[in-house]
Amino acid sequence: MRLWVTGLGLVTPLGAGVEATWGPLVRGDRAIRPVRLFSTEGQRVALAAEVEGVRAPGPGWSRTSVMAAMAAEEALRSAKLDVRSRRIGLVVGGTTGGMFETEELLARLHAEPECRDALAAMISHPLTATGDRLGERLGPFARIRTLASACSSGANAIVVAASWLLTGEVDAVLAGGSDGLCRLTLSGFNALGAIDPEPCRPFDIRRRGTSLGEGSGFLVLERDDAARARAAAPVAELAGWAMGSEAHHITNPAPDGALVASLVERAIARAGLTARDVDYVNAHGTGTPLNDPMEAAALARALGPEIERIPVSSSKGQIGHTLGAAGAIEAAITALVVQRRTLVPTAGLEQPDPAAPLVHVMGRGREVSRIRAAISCAYGFGGMDTILVFTSPGLGAERSEDPCPVVVTGVAVAGTCGLAGSARCATLPESPFDPAGGIQPDDYLDVGRARRLDPGARLGVVAVEHALVDAGVRSPATGVVLGSAFGNVDGSAAFMHRIFDKGPRSASPAEFPNLVPSSPVGHASIYLGLQGPAFATADLGTSGESAIVQAVQLLAAGEAERIVAGALEPHSDIVERVLASLFSHSSALVGAHRRSVAAAVVLETLDEARSRGARVLARIRRTLEWRDDATLALASLPAPAGPRAEVVLARPNAGSEALLDGTAWAACPRVTCSPALGESDGLGAVAIAVAASRIAAGTISDALVVGLAQARGYAIVLSAP
Amino acid sequence: MDLAGLRSELKSLIVAELNLKGRDPQSIEDDGALFGPAAGLGLDSLDALQLAMVIEEKYGVRIPEGDEARAIFASVRAIADHVARARSA
Repeated sequence: MRLWVTGLGLVTPLGAGVEATWGPLVRGDRAIRPVRLFSTEGQRVALAAEVEGVRAPGPGWSRTSVMAAMAAEEALRSAKLDVRSRRIGLVVGGTTGGMFETEELLARLHAEPECRDALAAMISHPLTATGDRLGERLGPFARIRTLASACSSGANAIVVAASWLLTGEVDAVLAGGSDGLCRLTLSGFNALGAIDPEPCRPFDIRRRGTSLGEGSGFLVLERDDAARARAAAPVAELAGWAMGSEAHHITNPAPDGALVASLVERAIARAGLTARDVDYVNAHGTGTPLNDPMEAAALARALGPEIERIPVSSSKGQIGHTLGAAGAIEAAITALVVQRRTLVPTAGLEQPDPAAPLVHVMGRGREVSRIRAAISCAYGFGGMDTILVFTSPGLGAERSEDPCPVVVTGVAVAGTCGLAGSARCATLPESPFDPAGGIQPDDYLDVGRARRLDPGARLGVVAVEHALVDAGVRSPATGVVLGSAFGNVDGSAAFMHRIFDKGPRSASPAEFPNLVPSSPVGHASIYLGLQGPAFATADLGTSGESAIVQAVQLLAAGEAERIVAGALEPHSDIVERVLASLFSHSSALVGAHRRSVAAAVVLETLDEARSRGARVLARIRRTLEWRDDATLALASLPAPAGPRAEVVLARPNAGSEALLDGTAWAACPRVTCSPALGESDGLGAVAIAVAASRIAAGTISDALVVGLAQARGYAIVLSAP
Repeated sequence: MDLAGLRSELKSLIVAELNLKGRDPQSIEDDGALFGPAAGLGLDSLDALQLAMVIEEKYGVRIPEGDEARAIFASVRAIADHVARARSA
């Protein structure tokens, strides 16, 4: 099997559409200008690359979602793909989401804290909104994933798409990223002193930072057999990829670039190629003093003497740093470079820095005789790095599809129950509720090393660390994927309130990185020294389920040997107030005060668990997920394998009862987690931890966990090992 | 406020703003290096940015960027001298 790119869509500051971007890109045009989208009074630097003509098709759309819809529509159109006719998945990477629109609501709430309209409108802009909008407009999709890993989000969306195709669960995937410019990111990057007062100049000795941009990029990725069957032609092949974490610093790259270098080597090897096959690198090339020499050193280390031949360029001097979209936009550009045998330049580069010795493409782009393989690089806050390799079709290795079995080897739940490992989780549903219960994360942390972590990240790190303790393993070869419904809303509100009160120069550089949805994951990887794949997912009340199911899919596809996955849902005053304003008419939800919960499960490939002699709690037999209609997904729900099966649920739920009716699980006993732990969006991950622990304790032989939220659901089947 | 008082206040500010839990502010030496792996406090460039923002806000004194900042942030004494000088200017 090969993975083909059969469609591309772009919305960039150079133009809306692939062709509208490509011409100016090759010419070396630059779109970095004074910001017009919002007032920049008091900002250190007020330059950025804006997208013109973003018009919402209806109320409640964020700029991020509008740009995503434009790019995604173009990608499907160019692939000539009818979403309704096949099993198509959607992966959306992002970071800022609807922050630009949320800022206006926060400003209203700052002036009038109880403004009900503003509170109610806040619900329109969780990170999941873009995926949901695309689903309504272009779907239905068989599954939708929303993920965030800061500036590598868009690239990681493509890796997730590859894992889905390799495990044969979908025929094609629409994958990409979108991020809109906003006051929060401009203020934050200015606070970090990371923005060049001139349009950014990657690899130039005079460079003083990056320039922010906005936009969206989407790719249609498809199995070659499926594409051939509908006579679709490839733009390029996605031949290799690798993702990992530096475990170094929340904002600064590790100066030696060792992790980046090893990812480049792994991605090329995964493609079945060597450095001799690489004819172009689209660098991350932010233009910050630290990034560019690190990146040059990493590329030299990975590509060896070939680096003296391979042209390298960064697109950020033209379109700015498009943050959560950058990895996808630049992947699309790299695929176009392969298809069109045309190099794109590093605009703004005039005096190459000898500390970053590379074969630069200066001025304009140019056609070359051949591009066999090309690399696209994306690195995010927290050190989450991703490398993609695109080739001309047929160059890379064929790959087999043989999903690795996945097992659970450890769990931890932190909440009103205190901190519980697998021994206590086995009886958690029968435990009494302690309304005053909880944990003080600092009791479990080295407070010196944890000083940069906000309360949510502290809770998450404790859960991740203790799941690994429960699993008896501490190895850098471990990833982290945590789901969160709303991210750090309270932190973003506090950050913006300071700006409203005192101006952008009072934006806190230390707090800014903690507002990124993936920041707890980044902190966990740094604090615990974990270098595997790391990102956050979001899927409203099933965010924990989405994280765990995604980790299983990555392990099944061979992306990692071990991932700690789960839910991180710290209590949020703003989320409580938003929900109270929305549901005040519904007595059932009034007073449903949400408790802080973090739940993590250690997932490993069966081979890895065996080779280290791990105690296996349970095996993951099947994961299912759906949007809107569960019928098709539940048709492949396996019956219990053993004699004592249980259905483990977050909370008593009429919806899941209706779904289970008529299945082999209908008569099985039900176990629920909310009576013991109180209400939380993280209970779905708790249910999975409980199910694995009850199987390990011998209480039951099989478990089915069903997680439901608005128009979405997950089912996870676990069995005795 | 005299310079000694300013230095004492700055030490408390450093501990509070950079979340150095369990650290006694007065245990920070007037002339000790604040930044870099050898300095003992484990502070880095992100802390320097945070400190510059807070000093600007609290004392109305701008910390220049680059090499000049490096000299000002060399020690608590150097920061206090800069703040006092800038405020009397």
